[in-house]
Amino acid sequence: MKTTTVGNYPKVAEGAYTTKLIGAITRWQRQELTDAQLEDTSREITRAVIQEHERAGLDVLTDGQIRWEDLVTPVAKRLKGFEINGLSRWFNNNVYYRRPILHKVPVRNGPILVEEYRFAASCTKKPVKAVLPGPYTFVALCEDRHYKARGPFVRKMAEILNEEARALAQAGAPIVQFDEPAIGFGKTDIKLAVDALGIATRGVKAKTAVYTYFGRLDGALEPLMRAKVDIVGVDVVSEPSTLGALRRAKITKELALGCLDGRNTKLESVAELHTLFDAVRKRVPSDRLYINPNCGLEFLPHAQAQAKLQRLAQAVRTYKG
Amino acid sequence: MLLTTSVGSLPKPDYLTKARTQTRKGELDARQLRSLEEQATREWIRIQEELDIDIIVDGEQYRGDMVAYFAEHLDGFKQSELVRSYGNRYYRKPIITGKVTRPTPVTVGWWRFAQGLTTRPVKGMLTGPYTIMDWSFNEHYPSRRAATLAIAHVVRDEARDLERAGAQYIQVDEPAISTRPEEMDLAIEALGIVTKGLKAKTITHICYGDFNAIGPKLHKLPVDQIDLEFANRNFELLDFFKKRKRFPKEIGLGVVDVHSHRMEPTDEVVANLKKALKVFNPEQIYVDPDCGLKTRTVEEATAKLRLVVEATKAVRAELFN
Repeated sequence: MKTTTVGNYPKVAEGAYTTKLIGAITRWQRQELTDAQLEDTSREITRAVIQEHERAGLDVLTDGQIRWEDLVTPVAKRLKGFEINGLSRWFNNNVYYRRPILHKVPVRNGPILVEEYRFAASCTKKPVKAVLPGPYTFVALCEDRHYKARGPFVRKMAEILNEEARALAQAGAPIVQFDEPAIGFGKTDIKLAVDALGIATRGVKAKTAVYTYFGRLDGALEPLMRAKVDIVGVDVVSEPSTLGALRRAKITKELALGCLDGRNTKLESVAELHTLFDAVRKRVPSDRLYINPNCGLEFLPHAQAQAKLQRLAQAVRTYKG
Repeated sequence: MLLTTSVGSLPKPDYLTKARTQTRKGELDARQLRSLEEQATREWIRIQEELDIDIIVDGEQYRGDMVAYFAEHLDGFKQSELVRSYGNRYYRKPIITGKVTRPTPVTVGWWRFAQGLTTRPVKGMLTGPYTIMDWSFNEHYPSRRAATLAIAHVVRDEARDLERAGAQYIQVDEPAISTRPEEMDLAIEALGIVTKGLKAKTITHICYGDFNAIGPKLHKLPVDQIDLEFANRNFELLDFFKKRKRFPKEIGLGVVDVHSHRMEPTDEVVANLKKALKVFNPEQIYVDPDCGLKTRTVEEATAKLRLVVEATKAVRAELFN
């Protein structure tokens, strides 16, 4: 069993690293800081987050998505065709993201996250996975004034994200992950979502993962097992029914079990995590199992996010399944 | 008929914003802050009287966040480190760590103070139990439901104390209600605990969200009046009510957009009010801004309130002729 996170992590930490990113961004917005100066701060915090994840004993790291305003903005703002617009609710959370508007055919002019990835990977000897929004979710979170049809927009985004995924794999990412919280959140065209993942992962010379969270997976889990990805991430915290769906489905992929609540500060006990591991271990051999929180940990204050990391590592370390 | 009011919060004058920062830094004591909060409250009461608003509010000059304010004054909550809400915006999200109780009334003193300054009715302003739960972490109660119902009993005690103090209008805001339509029944049950047995007129304000999902159950909310944002949706909400049989409750009609610097022309507000009169009876409508005005400047907020009153008076005059 390998431990990992879903992606994002608190950007500020009053008790540990620093809150200076807030001031740095404010000053950068007022043009009192250059891009390079802001980048220095972002790198400093990224390094601190990676070190914290290492110290917690995680096996597969991310860069904590310290530069990410939300799941879609970092990608949308670097593509042609999009305008970043007003705030919309981030699924069923009291958190907001900026909704991109698509005006014309989206175009990727060059690498989006590759430099950031290289930096993160250079901070540690542990494997660092790359995280991207999944094509289906990306489109679900946009306002489409160009295609006015979901299918072509999703497939086009899948092609663009595929270019980026290939570049990230080439830069050394051992895993490229696509986040698809829109799968199972409301009515889902699961066939389209799965087809798009096939496009997004084509020719990517790394392991590929799809992470779902927040939603209900009944009806989506079986199609996801046929998607062209190596790892399927499921959130068994937000929807208790997902555990039942896992018990019924034939699990033919590696499974990433999202089992610590990334949206509540209450800390899970080792015993309850072990019970969950037991249930899943009956269906998936441990060498095909990743253990992680159900979603990014940035919903939590830093102290509690860190406690979740430590508990996650502790639960896996002490598990004798 | 067509009584005018506002949703609750009003902007803090610059001297008060500054004083709050100084208090946080320890440069100002609680008594000094209190006297400035009283000054700002006096100013807002006078402005609302001069504008000739029928049902007025204290403007919540002494509150920060609408949930954090109650969390700070109730037992069972602790304050968290910073969490990000969007972009570069952070706040302290309360954590429920014990049984939620109310050692002393929270808002009654301020209500008495405000009511003592005017002969016009001052609304009692509370945050609803579902919203307090949804906008807090919960480490104590076994479920979201258990937390919500426990908080409901505390809010009920506060509502009863407001009524006993003489409040004729008690507003219990539930902006979070539209986030998770599947929990609407829980929100209704909790609000029922709060309003049961109250003789004061009860109101709830609900913010935007998945209106089509919650709309069909709006009439089940156990209050006399539902206050909604009409302006920032170009009065499209009217179509929802038009398609149904006459709404059985009073409606708080938001006629000016609080998130925009733009001042709606009086004619526009008048025209929209008249549109609403085709769907609701004049006796059923209370006219107000879309939401709390605290994010506008004092000048903008005053101008928006003036618009509400001017447009309403114009329509009233036409109705009488």
